[in-house]
Order: sequence, then structure tokens, then C-alpha cells
Amino acid sequence: MNATGWKEKLSAIRDSFSISAAKIPAENPEALELRFLGRKGELALLLRDLKDIPLEERKTLGALGNTVKEEMTAILTGLKAVSGAPGPAVKTDLDLTLPGWPLPKGSLHPLTVTLNRMGECFSKLGFSIAEGPLIEEDYFNFEALNFPPFHPARDMQDTFYVDLKDASGKDLLLRTHTSPVQIRTMKNQEPPVRIISPGRVFRSEAVDASHSFVFHQIEGLYIDKGVSMADLKWTLETFMKDLFGSSAKVRFMPSYFPFVEPGAEVEVSCVFCRGKSDTVRCPVCKGTGWIELLGAGVVHPNVLKACNYDPQKWSGFAFGAGIERFAMLLYGISDMRMLYENDLRILKQVH
Amino acid sequence: MKILYSWLSDFIENPPAPEELAAKLGRIGLKVEEIKKTGAACAGVTVGQILKIDKHPNADKLSLCDVDDGAGVMRVVCGAKNIAVGQKILFARVGARLAEGELKKAKIRGVESEGMICAASELGLEGYDNTGILVLPEDTAIGADAVTLFPKADYLLEVEMLPNQAHCLSHYALAREVCLFYGLKLKEAAVLKAEAAGTSVPVTIDAPDLCPRYAAIVLRGVKGARTPEWMADRLRAMGSNPKGNILIDGSNYVMYELGQPTHCFDISKLSGPEIRVRRALPGEKLVTLENKELKLEPGMLVIADAASPAALAGVMGGLDTAVSGYTDAILIESARFYPPTVRLASKTTGIKSESSYRFERGTDPELMMKAARRLAGLILESAPGASVVQISDNYPVKYQLPVIEIEPSRVNAILGTGISDGEILACLKAFQPDIKDSKPWKFSVPSYRQDIESVWDVAEELARYIGYDVIPAVSRMPMLPSNITPHWAVASEMKNTLAALGFSEVYNYDFISAKEMKACGLEAAGAVELKNPLSSDYQFMRQTLLPGLLKTLRYNLNRGRDSVIIFEMGTVYAKKGAGKAEEVNCSGLMFGDFPEGGFWKAGQGKADFYHLKGVMSRLFAGKGGFRFEKPKAAPVYFQPGLALEMKLGGSSLGFVGRLAAGAAAGFDLKDNNVFYFELTMGSAASAWKPEFWQKIAKIKPVSAFPQNWRDLSIVLEEKHEWADMDRAFSGVQDLASARLIDVFKGKNIPEGHRSLTIRFIFSSMEKTLTDAEVAARMTAVLEKLAKNFNAKLRS
Repeated sequence: MNATGWKEKLSAIRDSFSISAAKIPAENPEALELRFLGRKGELALLLRDLKDIPLEERKTLGALGNTVKEEMTAILTGLKAVSGAPGPAVKTDLDLTLPGWPLPKGSLHPLTVTLNRMGECFSKLGFSIAEGPLIEEDYFNFEALNFPPFHPARDMQDTFYVDLKDASGKDLLLRTHTSPVQIRTMKNQEPPVRIISPGRVFRSEAVDASHSFVFHQIEGLYIDKGVSMADLKWTLETFMKDLFGSSAKVRFMPSYFPFVEPGAEVEVSCVFCRGKSDTVRCPVCKGTGWIELLGAGVVHPNVLKACNYDPQKWSGFAFGAGIERFAMLLYGISDMRMLYENDLRILKQVH
Repeated sequence: MKILYSWLSDFIENPPAPEELAAKLGRIGLKVEEIKKTGAACAGVTVGQILKIDKHPNADKLSLCDVDDGAGVMRVVCGAKNIAVGQKILFARVGARLAEGELKKAKIRGVESEGMICAASELGLEGYDNTGILVLPEDTAIGADAVTLFPKADYLLEVEMLPNQAHCLSHYALAREVCLFYGLKLKEAAVLKAEAAGTSVPVTIDAPDLCPRYAAIVLRGVKGARTPEWMADRLRAMGSNPKGNILIDGSNYVMYELGQPTHCFDISKLSGPEIRVRRALPGEKLVTLENKELKLEPGMLVIADAASPAALAGVMGGLDTAVSGYTDAILIESARFYPPTVRLASKTTGIKSESSYRFERGTDPELMMKAARRLAGLILESAPGASVVQISDNYPVKYQLPVIEIEPSRVNAILGTGISDGEILACLKAFQPDIKDSKPWKFSVPSYRQDIESVWDVAEELARYIGYDVIPAVSRMPMLPSNITPHWAVASEMKNTLAALGFSEVYNYDFISAKEMKACGLEAAGAVELKNPLSSDYQFMRQTLLPGLLKTLRYNLNRGRDSVIIFEMGTVYAKKGAGKAEEVNCSGLMFGDFPEGGFWKAGQGKADFYHLKGVMSRLFAGKGGFRFEKPKAAPVYFQPGLALEMKLGGSSLGFVGRLAAGAAAGFDLKDNNVFYFELTMGSAASAWKPEFWQKIAKIKPVSAFPQNWRDLSIVLEEKHEWADMDRAFSGVQDLASARLIDVFKGKNIPEGHRSLTIRFIFSSMEKTLTDAEVAARMTAVLEKLAKNFNAKLRS
């Protein structure tokens, strides 16, 4: 075929398409598409014939062919839209915009949702749930956790006492952290131990935007052979990625809790500004790029000894976090008191 | 703890800039919470004198002052109340630089001001009264530059101190920490070099277990020695109030500088004179420096003279032996006390001092002499005529440096790292330059680091030294099964169900007041009481979740809600004999419009008992053995006769009913249309199968044949209860269900009777029932009703 013949053929195909496309009622646009533009369609075959035409003419003809192709595609798109259009509207006498039946809508407390989610993350990592009493003995709350009597570390946790005594005559207290569950679990179980213990704790502190005399913690403990600070970091980083997305990173800073050594404060990279709060200071991380979220460390040998675990044989890590802090971050709450006010206008926003 | 940058810099060669220093401290676990600029930050501010004060023509609260600043008389507008003619004041001309920036020309209420009379805060000065302008001493020279009158601009760092950081509680100690961890060179403070062999005041330690060391320096001829201005400036910057007497201020200064508390006794007031460190005797008393009389107890350690206690060791000195402006001979005490003894004394007496704070945490056993010599040296600089009479060091119990054997593999196992031997040794060398390189390394812990006791502690120091980032986030933790407790399983399921049924979960405090307890009809006798409540509102531990729920109800009604449907799961407490009973409850209430928010079609109403009963039925649907019973006795906060007990298996789960009128009134509610339930989670958990496979009920087959139904309306006396009838149907052949569809009283129904319409559904597994068969079964039903309940067909 020469160039003239090819042009004539193109023109014929174009005419034939125009006639088919203009028929009333319209032909099925899908069938038309297959006939002209399909892999073995008329236009496709013609374009393939170009290979027999000398190079200098091939370019112009090719361009011509493509213009026709585009033209057809545009018409077909229009046809398809028309053939799928809905029929004329039927008017009814019902006002469908009236509200539907108000099925009851309750809500879980933000702290419950947060705690459940955190528990879920750790459950995937093989942590079991352990629980303990809220009225505790000095031994479990302090002494076995390496807070000796008359140690200044006791000042870190202002304690409520109640009008009851333990067997040794000491006042019973309201647990100041969930850590006593570590001791209770280890005393009742041989290693390996891998638990989380969520629950309510009490500190004799004035209530303000970031403090409450009643709050919640989640405790983690893992005891086995050869457990290290690196296992702790992996666990917490995996947890944070689960909660805050895969870009979350964890940083350890030196810190002190009597029941761990070495001790660390755990910070997570700020997922809210991603550390890029150059122009406006991020209100969450205060522009530092890091948010303090947990305390953690390697279980202190004195704690293992108190539970009759041999520190030369067993080692472990422990961590603890305030659930309020997580809930406030996740729900964007700036005042902790809001979590205990029980204003239903707030609570019903939790889905 | 407050740290003054310039002071810290005294001990570091080429100290890092304040911001960098803060970052360095943070990296090793010393968190700098704030960096504050201190001292006067100004330029072009001079001393002026107020010559004349006139009223501002357009403002009652403003004045017009003529101020002479040495270069001329200026007219300025001033708003302060404490101005007076003749005062020497700080005057800033237009163009002067103040803490907040340059002073611009301004018209105030129509009068142009040629400058400003300054308050202390306008120069960035801390610790002054800022309610008015700063009035300077009368002898201040007019025209003097303000920067010559106040300490130089400095930085005050607020460093958070954890209980294990006793080795950082001073400027020198913090400098030492920075130098050690960052390889900087530490500089020493100048101390008194002189020696003196004499003993004018003998020191005896009767309780070496509580006081292992007592260093003393006796000085004579210190009368009238004043605190130098540079020292007073530093103390002021620290927030301490210098007295002007070097004997008092110097002691504080040395404590802030070296971390060792010292005390000066006036020898002329010491009986003997002698010093005896001993346990307090029964009945002994001490009047402190703050003029408070303490009753001493035998567990306390005192510094006594020949007659009586002169100081409560480590906590506070006594008034009788205190130094004053007339003191000429002093004994400087620099001792070490057993930390728990100091803490006990501080707790018992309620006195917390900077000194007790440091002793409780443990002081450096090798620091006593250095601190005493430092203080003596400072006093001698202010009292050049004074002489050193005695330098003694009673040291009955020598401190032994602990030695820890370090295997590098052990340190790496704790941290989960692969730190090389060389790096570990470099860290140990920073602490102990002469450590020998033969494994296991024998690490002698410096005397100031009494918190380092084991290889775990050394691992932490190593991580601090290299940086905590050296710890990788990698793990080869084995898989372990994850279990939950039955309580946890039931709690989650119950919370989710209640939320799905329209209940919002609330969290209340565990503490209630006596008044709230009484409003619920509960006795204080059985309640656990706090020994140290924050206030009487939070004095008792709740025995039921009801008070919190009623408070929540009231709170939300006060905010315009028409309906409140809430629940809480939480611990309730009671006394049980001499012990405690603690259990988790789940309680909730319904009040107001139902459905919540109302509906435009029919069906709108108020929440009632049957709504809540339905919720309970739904909550325990499919739990075998769940039933309602009339209680023998319901808790007092339920309206009598309007509560049912819920049982699961044989055990009681709790109650559902209407709130007693008294309880409603006690929480300021207008009526008692509050429907309340209370469940004991322990009972629920024990009867509830936590295991998934056990929890699943086996599916029962259903009939392949069509079912038949008949409606029946009967009339019977009201005394017959539905539950009894429902039970009576149990033997009827092929009866699939008997559903109550209407209850009617009124027209055509005799007094004391009611009409029930019941729908009976019959279904056989074997065949389609014929009309005759269904009729026969209905006859059986009617016979039962007639026989047991004297029921008649409604005509």
C-alpha cells in the first residue's frame, strides 16, 4: 500500500465510524469501540500497515491516524456517558430527608479505647494480661521494687494511705503505680514471664491540666534468659509503630526508676509535625521533635532477688506508661481533667 | 536545682555555651527544664533623682515627674504609686535598651514622656518587688550606669534532679560530671592551705554508725566579717536571701558550690566548749534557727555540746549556738551522716532544708575536709585578721572504695550491644584513670558515686558515656502465647455490648465524701477511709459506683441534656473484718428521653424500668442460667419493691431497679425516674466462659416445616405474674414460643383484673401441623391457664 491508498482507507474508516456513531437509536458504544479501536479493530490494523510505507511519509500519516483515533475515543466516551444516564426522576410524597430512626449510640471512654488499643499491640507481641489489687501493701508497692524505707526515691510518688494495716502492721496504701503487679506475678510464676498490667493508680497530687490524683498506667514486664535493653527498645519501637504508624521512631534517654538499671526515659518521634516544626512551633513536641511517653529499663537485680529469681540466670526489662498521656495525644485533649468530667458532649464524640 | 552558668564555668576550662551545655546535660540524663537570663540586661540606663512630682493633666493614676539624670532634667510620665520626691531611681532615656528592647518616644494620654522610671523587671532583674518602680539606696550616685549597680547578665539553669543524682547536687559536682562525660578539663576551687595542730574544741563521735566522719575547723577573730558583694550576687541569683554575714552566707555558698552542707557554731555559746555527736536522749528538746521548738526522739542524731543538743544532725542548727554579728570564734562543721537517719529526722520534724535534701541522698565521704577548708578560706578573705586555731578530722569509720569486676561480655549482654573492649575501657578510665587493663577489669568506684554498686550500674554509665543511641532496636525474643484473664475478657465484652446498646462509658474518681455516702444511705463504718485525703470531698473509698454516676447525671442535666444513659466499670471497696474487700463492679443508669434525642414518629417516651430490664436481658443473652428474681433484700439505694435481682448459674450478679427517692434527692435530682443497675464482675466472670470455644453455643436445628401461630386474649386477676405463666407453658407440645404482645386494663375488664394477649407459635420437626392439631394444643394451653391462674377467654 502506498501513502495515498493508506489515506483513502483512513478516510473510509472515519466515515463508516461517523455513520455508525450517529445512528438513532445509537449502537452499543462498547461494540463500536471493539470494531474500530480494538486490538484487531479497523483503525488498529490500518495503523499497523504503516510499517510498509517509507519512513519520511510514515511520520505524517501516523500523526494523521492518531488524530482520527483521538476523535473516535472522544465520541465514544460521550456515547458511553449517555447510554448509562439515569431515567427521569419519579416524584414521591415522602420527605426522605427526615431523620432516620435514632438507634441508640453509646460510647466507650477514650481511656478504654486507648487502653484496648495499647493492649492489642502488646498482645500481638506475646504479652499476657495480669492484674492486681488497688489497695496495696508497702512491700509490693515500694520495698520489693527497690524503694528501701527512708529512700528519697519514695518522694517521687506521693502516696495515699488508708485506715487499714498489713500483716506487718504497716498502713495499707493505694498503689502509686502498676509495678506491684510485676512482683505479684513473679512471685507466683516461673520465668519466662511476659505480661502487661493495665490499671488504675493513685498519687496524692493536686489536680491540674496534666496531673490527676487518679490516673491509669500500663506496665510491661518480660523476664527470660538473655533479655537486654535492645529487646526493650525493639519491643517499644514495634509498639509505637503499631500505634503511631510505621514512621515512628523511639529514642532512649538516661533516667531513673528504682526498679530498673539501666533506666531510660522513652521518647517517640513526633508523628504530628514529623520533627519539622520550623515555622510554627509544634504544640505537641514543643518543637523538639520528640515526645516523652514512657519510663523503662532493665529489671534491677534487687527486684529479681526479691522475687527469688537468680539475677545471674534471669534478666528482663520493664516499662510503664500513663494511659492518660496517650489518650490526650491521640484524641487531641489538652486538659487531663476533661477525662474525668464525664461531659456527654465530649464522650459521645468517641466512636 | 538551680545552676548559675558563670559559677559552673569557674570549674570548667573552656566551658560550652549555655544552650550547648544544656543539650550535653540532657544527653547524660540531667534534664535542663529552663534556661533563664539573669542580672541586668540594659544599656543607657542611669541613676536619676526625682525632683518634682505633678499630677498628669488627663489621667488620675499617672504622674509627671522631673528627673535629674546628671546630664539634664527630663520630664517623664510615670504610673507607679511608690514614687516620692528625692528618690534615687533607675532612669531610661528615650533610646535606652531595656530587657524587652529599645525604649521608644511615646505620648501618654497626650503628654510626651522623655524617658521612663524603671521597675526592676524592666531591666530583667529577678527577685525584686515589681509592684512599683525600683527605689535605690539614697547614697547611689546620680548618673551612674545601671550595669555597675547589679550583677552581670548571667544564665540560670533549672536542672531536674532525680533521687539517684546525689553526685550532681552542686556547681562543682555538675561541672565534674560534664568534664568526665565530655572529656573537658575540670578546675578546682581555692581552699585554705594552712595547717593547725591545736585542739581548742574537742570533737567526740559517740555514734560512728550514724556519723562516720566529722571534720572541724576553728577560727578566731571573725567578728564583723561581711559577705562580699560577688557572693551575695550569686546567692541572690540562686534565689537565696543573703544575710550579709559571711558565716551564714559562706556556708550556703559552699553547699551550692561543692554539695557539702556545713554549719558554723558560735564557740562562745558552746558549753564546754566541746562537740559530741550522739543519739538524742529521751525528752531532749532543741530550738531551731527558725525559732521552732523540736521534741527530739531517740532515733535522731544530734550535735551536742557538753550540756545539750546544739543541732539536729544534717537538718538544722539550734538557735542557742547560732552565729551572729557579734560572733568572734566559730567552729565549722563538715560531717557525713547516715542518710536514712537524716531523712527520718526531717520527716518526723517536718523540716526540709537544702542540707537535709543533700544528706538524705548521700554526700561524698571524701568531701568533708575540702568543704571545711573552702569555707574557712572564704571567711578568712573577708576577715583577714582571723586566725586558724584547729583543723581536726574525726574519721572513725573509713570509707572503703567498692571494687566491681567488669567482664565486657556482661555489660554488652545487659545493653544488647556489641561495644568493643577499648570503648568500655575508655569509659572506665574517665572515672578511674589508673585502672589496669587486665580482665576482668577491677573498677574502683569514685567516692562520690555511691549509687554505683554493680555491673548493671556500670552498664548504665557506659550507655550514658557513649550515648543511649548505642542501644539498637533489635530482638530475638521467642514467641509466647498471649493470654487474658477471665475478668478482662468479660469486662471487654460487657463494655462493648453496653456501648452498642446506647450507654456511654464514664470514669469517676474512687473517692467520695461522707455526705455522698449518706445520701446513698450507706454507713461510714464499713467504708475504707483515707488517712491523708486531699479534701473532705475525697475522704472515703466508694462502696458502690452509684455516687459517681449520680454526679455525672447531675453534671450533664445541668448542661441541658434531656437524657443520660451511662455506665461505669470500676473498683468498689469495703472493710472486711480487719482487712479489705475490693471488687470490680459494672453499674449504669438511664434517665430521661428514650430513644435519646427523641424521634419525630411515634415511639417517643421516657426511659423506664422495662427499658433497662431489656438491656440486662440483652447483656446476658445466651448466657445459660441467667434469670431475674425478686430479691430478699436489695441495696438501700433502690426503691423498695422496684428492684429485681439478677442471677447467673446459682450466684447473684446484682440488681436492677428504680433509684430510691432519698438517693435522688441527695444528689439534687428533681425526681427518681432514674433506673439503675449494679453488677458484680467477679460473679459474671466466674459464670462466664472466657474461652472462645466454650463460649460458642452449639447451633440447634430448626424445623423444615411451616410454623403455625395463634393469638389468645385472656382475662385474669392482676396478682398472677407473667413469669409464672411463662413457666407454665413449658410442657406444651410443639410450642416454639409464647410471646406477650399486649397488656390491657380498663374498659370491659373487671376491677383488679387485666387482659393479656399472647401469641403462641407452634412448630414440629417432623411434619406440618394440621389445624386440628394446633387447635388441640391451644386447648391444652387454655386449660393450663384456667387451672393455674383462673384465666378466662376475653370475649
